[in-house]
Amino acid sequence: MEKDSNKAVEESLIQEVAAILSRDVGAIDPEIPLHEMGIDSLGFVELLVIMEKKYNIKLMESGLTKNDFKTIRSLSVKIKDLI
Amino acid sequence: MLSLPFSKTKRYLTGIDWIIHVLNYMTKKETGADFMSQIVIEVSGAVNVGELFNRLNAFIKNYPVLCGYASRDINLAPYWKIPPANKIDVLLDSSNVENDTSFETIIKHLEKKINTAFKNKRYHLAFHLINAGDKSFIAMRFDHLIFDAANAEAFLDLFQKQWKEETPFDYKFAPEPAHLSLWMEKFMAGQRVNRAFLKIADNVAPRVLPLPAVKNGFRFKILSFDKKDADTIFENAFNEAGYLMLMPYALAASVYCLHKMFTDRLISSGDYVIPVSINMKKQEKENKQFFNNVSFFIFKIEADIAGNFSAIINSIKKQMYDQVKADFPGDLCKASMLMRIAPLSVLGRLMKIYLKGQVASFSFSYLGEAVYTSYDFMGNNILNLFHMPRVPVPPGIGIFFQRSNERMNVILSYLDGMLKNEEAEEILSLLKFRLGVK
Repeated sequence: MEKDSNKAVEESLIQEVAAILSRDVGAIDPEIPLHEMGIDSLGFVELLVIMEKKYNIKLMESGLTKNDFKTIRSLSVKIKDLI
Repeated sequence: MLSLPFSKTKRYLTGIDWIIHVLNYMTKKETGADFMSQIVIEVSGAVNVGELFNRLNAFIKNYPVLCGYASRDINLAPYWKIPPANKIDVLLDSSNVENDTSFETIIKHLEKKINTAFKNKRYHLAFHLINAGDKSFIAMRFDHLIFDAANAEAFLDLFQKQWKEETPFDYKFAPEPAHLSLWMEKFMAGQRVNRAFLKIADNVAPRVLPLPAVKNGFRFKILSFDKKDADTIFENAFNEAGYLMLMPYALAASVYCLHKMFTDRLISSGDYVIPVSINMKKQEKENKQFFNNVSFFIFKIEADIAGNFSAIINSIKKQMYDQVKADFPGDLCKASMLMRIAPLSVLGRLMKIYLKGQVASFSFSYLGEAVYTSYDFMGNNILNLFHMPRVPVPPGIGIFFQRSNERMNVILSYLDGMLKNEEAEEILSLLKFRLGVK
């Protein structure tokens, strides 16, 4: 169940990153760092705002560490913890 | 709803395009030349001017849009009138300088070009080649009516790809509707934008430098960082501003350095207001090669915190988050559609109302990853690629960050006479220090 929830958040993140970058969902690898995919500061803040609205959480104020942000996978684990 | 069919000779202007037309009008009125920029590609070796002319001339003939001009439709929406064919030969001139000519002297040559007005409303693009012995500089001057900075780089990149691969021309012009529908949505967006501007506005005008009485064009100072220095800046941005927060970090450094100069000059009235252009063009799927696919954030930095680097970073990050959350850039795109009804001169005056006769303290942009992705230009290895943007007047001064492959360039652009040479040098020196580059 836990694994399924993590997967759902990760898939949601993949969809949003794909939308921000205008790429196909299949082209988004959850293990690749966001900056290597071409996400910039604007895209990153957009992503956080979308996830905050979607899951009703406060990502910006949750004391996230650098490692939490690095990849879609690490970010999805953190978001799952906050839900 | 009044809807007209798409036409190859007509491209409707968006609200943001119209704002750029207003900035162009204001800048031309103040300085005699358009709101232009120049991309300079520095390459190793000599470039043959004849071959460059032939290739560029053949390339631009594919784009009649390049010699279009603004007009107003029967439905009152402004549009870009596109002739059936581009019959204007490419504007290219060249000069030769000694092999050991200093970079400062090259910049002076390039300043003359970027400060030269286009002949008439049909001209929006010109090239200049400087052969300097073992290296060359190819400059493309363009006005922002036809390209934003990213699109201009993409245009050169397309030229290079066609030169290299000899690919056939297959560009399809992306149509733009007149946007004469969804009025309530636009009015609601206008209301939110109005509120946001009222929040930024104060009882006093923002902190600005006085414009020189005689405007002799723009001057440029350029800091160019190699890969090692650029990596240091990324690392510092990561540590001090957070993951992917390079734009807020670069803007904070710019505010910090200009604040020092304002303070030294004993200019102490008002806070800093900085519009920051952002790229609204989604990657890969969109075929929007021309015009302006941008919107803006508007940042206000209180003068009281402008000497505290960490406080500036935090303020910018918070404002960026709030503006993304409220979709301010999207609202601005929608609301600006309503402004297209106003003539340029009227809109120019209206834009100054909120900030008590001013538009901004300075201009800033951070052009992220390089859009020109090739490592060569017509077979010559690229050493650097940088922009020389003329800033809207007012404010007449701006700082720009831009990437070129693994390099990073910082460009200070200002009206001649606005800063003393020593002041400009000091700003760049402090900026280098603030970015953590030794």
